[in-house]
Amino acid sequence: MSNLKRKFLPSLVATAVATGLVAGMTMTQAAEWTPPALAPLDTIKMPIPLDNKFTEAKVALGKLLFFDPRLGGDASVSCSSCHDPEQGWAWAEDFSRGYPGTTHWRNSQSIINSQYMDRQFWAGAAASGERQAPAAAKGGVAGNGENDIMEARLALIPEYVKQFNDVFGDEWPLIDNAWKAIAAYERTLVQTETPLDSYLKGDKSALSEEQVRGKAVYEGKGGCIQCHYGPLATGQEYLNVGVPPAKRWEEDGLAQITFRFEHYAKGQTEEGYRKAKSDWGLYYRTKNKWDKGKFRVPSLRYSKYTAPYMHNGSFFTLEEVVDFYNAGGKDEEGRTTPFTENMDKRIKPLGLSDDEKSDLVAFLEAFSGEEMITEKPRLPEYAPLFTKAELEEVKK
Amino acid sequence: MRKKGVIRRSHLLASLAIAVSCAITGMASADAPGLLPALKINKEKAELGKRLFFDKRLSGDAAISCATCHDPEKGYSTDKALSPGYPGNGHFRNSQGLINAAHKKTWLHDGRLGTNLNDVTREMLTEDYIMNMDMRIMQERVKQDPKYVEMFKAAGYGEPSNGSVRKAIPEYLKTLTSKGSAFDTGKMSDSAKAGQKVFNDKGCSSCHSGSMFSDGKAHNTGVPENFDVFLDPMNHQAFLAFTMFQGIPNFMNLKRDPGAAVQWKKADVSNYGTFMTPSLRELAQTAPYMHNGMIATLEEVVDFYNVGGGADSHKDAAMKPLNMKDQEKKDLVAFLQALSGDKLTGPEHVWKEAYPTEYPVIADWANQKN
Repeated sequence: MSNLKRKFLPSLVATAVATGLVAGMTMTQAAEWTPPALAPLDTIKMPIPLDNKFTEAKVALGKLLFFDPRLGGDASVSCSSCHDPEQGWAWAEDFSRGYPGTTHWRNSQSIINSQYMDRQFWAGAAASGERQAPAAAKGGVAGNGENDIMEARLALIPEYVKQFNDVFGDEWPLIDNAWKAIAAYERTLVQTETPLDSYLKGDKSALSEEQVRGKAVYEGKGGCIQCHYGPLATGQEYLNVGVPPAKRWEEDGLAQITFRFEHYAKGQTEEGYRKAKSDWGLYYRTKNKWDKGKFRVPSLRYSKYTAPYMHNGSFFTLEEVVDFYNAGGKDEEGRTTPFTENMDKRIKPLGLSDDEKSDLVAFLEAFSGEEMITEKPRLPEYAPLFTKAELEEVKK
Repeated sequence: MRKKGVIRRSHLLASLAIAVSCAITGMASADAPGLLPALKINKEKAELGKRLFFDKRLSGDAAISCATCHDPEKGYSTDKALSPGYPGNGHFRNSQGLINAAHKKTWLHDGRLGTNLNDVTREMLTEDYIMNMDMRIMQERVKQDPKYVEMFKAAGYGEPSNGSVRKAIPEYLKTLTSKGSAFDTGKMSDSAKAGQKVFNDKGCSSCHSGSMFSDGKAHNTGVPENFDVFLDPMNHQAFLAFTMFQGIPNFMNLKRDPGAAVQWKKADVSNYGTFMTPSLRELAQTAPYMHNGMIATLEEVVDFYNVGGGADSHKDAAMKPLNMKDQEKKDLVAFLQALSGDKLTGPEHVWKEAYPTEYPVIADWANQKN
């Protein structure tokens, strides 16, 4: 609940709460809080960082770079490898595919609408798209690239040298500007036209009767709106909703390797490294035990194309997701989070009928418009920096 | 730049160590060549190192092993002028043969590592243009293979760790010591014996001294640049990444290999183009020659020195035309060949067993300690 307050109470009140002056008032405020209604996405503006102004040329460069595998370790993996436009700008398996020789340990999230979010990654590890891109391109089980070789590659691609100069004024392409261009491109990957947006703007024919009934479940008995609210259909809170550990860790040696690596790399304690059997989520950032198993509530927009679902891709269909919540945060075998003490109190059995469940699933599909596909750009080629004659002229 | 999970050492320390070791080698350089000293080898550790050396899972994308660039059939080097490097890039130097690497005091053509083979192993594993391995992932891969778990235990290392990988591989490298050369067995031909006299009389031995036939110092002999380093963007990107990381000034415009200048950057760049004197042992297995593979055969190497080396205004003063007669050159080549021994390609040096194609799953994972 503290996350809720921090985000939605007027800042003066939030300050008062934080300093503990009016503790009594807090309870009243929290009890009276109602989630903001779903709203069209074009009611909010895409945030643009002051230090990464938006230009057409930057977006064009960012698109090339997004698809260019030379921004990775062995030049075989680009952003688009794990965020494939054909797979919802994500990866259609439980875990993201990962760098060759590895697998990732979390589900790949869609790029569509991602840049509206306050932070990036499932546990919010990156503060912006500009920070997310290098973390992915350099992560050992993602891009496994290093700054210097990636920067060297860019310098040997004349088209990039020209564009980085035009866009950023770089004499030679600077790798940090590659991340800026990619983030700028990602800010163009938004979907504001969906049946839901049309409906909310007054076109009552945009939703079927079934979907209208589903909306009522969403906002009522299902309680989905409590976390999936507002224009983005998420309040971006970090919550433990009871998602069970991925079964793949029990069945796949490669996944077991990455599991241990992640705990090693994220600064786990020795004891934590030995004992962990699930993704501890927000804990890696805060090291608070009450944050174990918490992940950022994802947007439901574009989710029609981004199966499987949850931070570890545990559920392959929206029906399974609805069943999971209907059971009070348990999968069909009754598995749940190992950190039940951290589970959000609002997660409880919902008692939805089969009709209510199918209405709800139908409504969830209204969060997605047409599938967004883009043509892969033709990538510029390497060229030697010097001619043979220039090399022969060198006086030693 | 290096991958994560490694201990960084300051360049100052490394340079200091190089300076010290050069001084030691320098004092010993007057030594006549002889047999290499026997090294004490821990069998279990070396056996583990052998399996690691040939295991592709020790590179970032699991596509190459140490042996990809250090092929036993080629004296633990390659027969290409330039080393292949990591997939996605090329390389800018010749892969050095590893036979007798454990007998050196400084390593790599530019001598930038002068501590121990543990550091050399780390550098090769973690450099982005070489094996690009995040050693934290390497450690977890190794732990996933029951055969390794068993071998690390047998070697006395306990649980597999990236630290003991870097101990085991150097232990294995100790087993790669010259064996059976005519020089060591005292079975040199008359021509080779005559060649040894040429070798000493013509001054080869002033740099190629001691039992390793190397003074362990850097010299400029004027070896021409290998233009493929710069004309092939795959190689050039590795060169750029390297010079960028080494802090070489003006690296984007650099059209020559700075060589051992990475150890001590002189403002007037007068030490650019110096390279560590290589050992002459096992030459017959490791063609082509020089730091950039620019010379294909031993005959051509001898011709190169016979004309006083290549063109460079900072060429070592000792480099002068040698005026060797044809017979002297032939004898010299015969001597150089007599410094090469057996191929080390048998199962005692090469891991011949197959590696698992998949990582076995740890059973009952949920109830096991990681």
